[in-house]
Amino acid sequence: MQDRVIICDDHTLLREGLKSLLQRNGFEVVGEAGDGRTAVKLAKKINPDIVILDISMPFLNGIEATRQISNEVPHAKMIIMSMHCADHFVLAALHAGAAAYLLKNTVFEELLVAFRSVLKGQVYLSPAIAGTVVRASLQPSSTQRDLLGPRTSSREREVLQLLVDGQSTREIAATLCVSVKTIETHRKRFMDKLNLHSVAELTKYAIREGLTTP
Amino acid sequence: MAIAPNFVRPRNCATKSNAALRRIEPTLQRGEKRIDEFAVAIGRKSSAAVSGPQRVLIADDHGIMREALRSLLEERPGEFECVGEAQDGYIATIMAKELRPDIVVMDIAMPNLNGIGATREIKAELPDAKVVVLSMHANPSYILQVLQAGASAYLLKDATFEELTSALKAVRDGQVYLSPGISEAGAIRTEPGKPAQGTILQSERLTKRELQVLQLIAEGKSTKEIAARLKISVKTVETHRKHLMDKLDIHSVAGLTKFCIREGLTSL
Repeated sequence: MQDRVIICDDHTLLREGLKSLLQRNGFEVVGEAGDGRTAVKLAKKINPDIVILDISMPFLNGIEATRQISNEVPHAKMIIMSMHCADHFVLAALHAGAAAYLLKNTVFEELLVAFRSVLKGQVYLSPAIAGTVVRASLQPSSTQRDLLGPRTSSREREVLQLLVDGQSTREIAATLCVSVKTIETHRKRFMDKLNLHSVAELTKYAIREGLTTP
Repeated sequence: MAIAPNFVRPRNCATKSNAALRRIEPTLQRGEKRIDEFAVAIGRKSSAAVSGPQRVLIADDHGIMREALRSLLEERPGEFECVGEAQDGYIATIMAKELRPDIVVMDIAMPNLNGIGATREIKAELPDAKVVVLSMHANPSYILQVLQAGASAYLLKDATFEELTSALKAVRDGQVYLSPGISEAGAIRTEPGKPAQGTILQSERLTKRELQVLQLIAEGKSTKEIAARLKISVKTVETHRKHLMDKLDIHSVAGLTKFCIREGLTSL
């Protein structure tokens, strides 16, 4: 049976090209998503074997999407393919449940190696970032940090992402199906935790962290 | 996807910013005849003269992107032929001189020599080769610089392959092609048969006061703080804020902050 793949990247051309390459190599591309939120929905519905995810995407970034998919669809293997090589991205992705992390300067041959590895239950890391993970594992765990700091909750990060993508409090409440009041509480909490007290500062912070692009 | 919606539709642009419009050098017809003769002399096809597949060189520092593009182009063998891949602008210029492609699909952010510099060098050597820029940046100053360097098209990476093929055909026919997200923005406008025109910065469409308010918003100041800083009433700040949001068609502080970063009005 063919392995079933979902591709999630906000760059349509890359998505289409990857689909073409994967199909030529005997994989079945069962879904495509341009943002993390759609990817989570698709994964729940389709139950794929593999999900390829970019990190910087609108509405829900690839790391949060990985976390949600690994909770909801434990069978699926997540492969992160990102231009970011900073250690906090790599570690956050692995913490969230990613089975592989590749950089976008990779070649397709390496992606196939990653596919074979994760389908066997192994972890695959681009050689360029393996050192990052090894160094982190040799350090006391207190020095590890999650994306956006260890203290923000998954829900708070989700609200932050929607906020910096330009949604109003009311729109965020509608997107997440909760009350405006709840969103305001989340918003106040992460503003306090990050010590950033304006949407402008939060937006710049999110750009620096690779959660959104200007 | 993340970038295009922040752009502004052309709204009374023509009346407001004619003075700010800068003409871009027409680069399309220059040297066409000369290069045809040259192409015949070295025994290679030129798409202007012979209708075969368009010969494409891909320049992008992301290997997976290059292979993805190549795979898509190879699905249309009658129309396109991928003749080479370059991982930076410097290698792209060398390969272009060697391979004489009809089209170079060019990323902007690349090591050693970026896409703007590479476009300039390639157009100087091969005026008949068309450069199609494929970038993740909708930064207006990039767009203008690379069009001035001689590029014939500018697409964002969230374009579809269908759109890329339209662009490749358009530039073959001597036209300029810009992603709808860019041309609708009013930053750059093209008309058939005329060179692209554009303002260097969209913020030039704002009044001095609106610009001050915008910058302070992007620095994280509240309406009250802005009023105190500029020694005007809160109500006046709100009016400026509403006007500038309408002019830019950006209706969130997050969106305004990103706009200011793109335009270089604030730093990260």
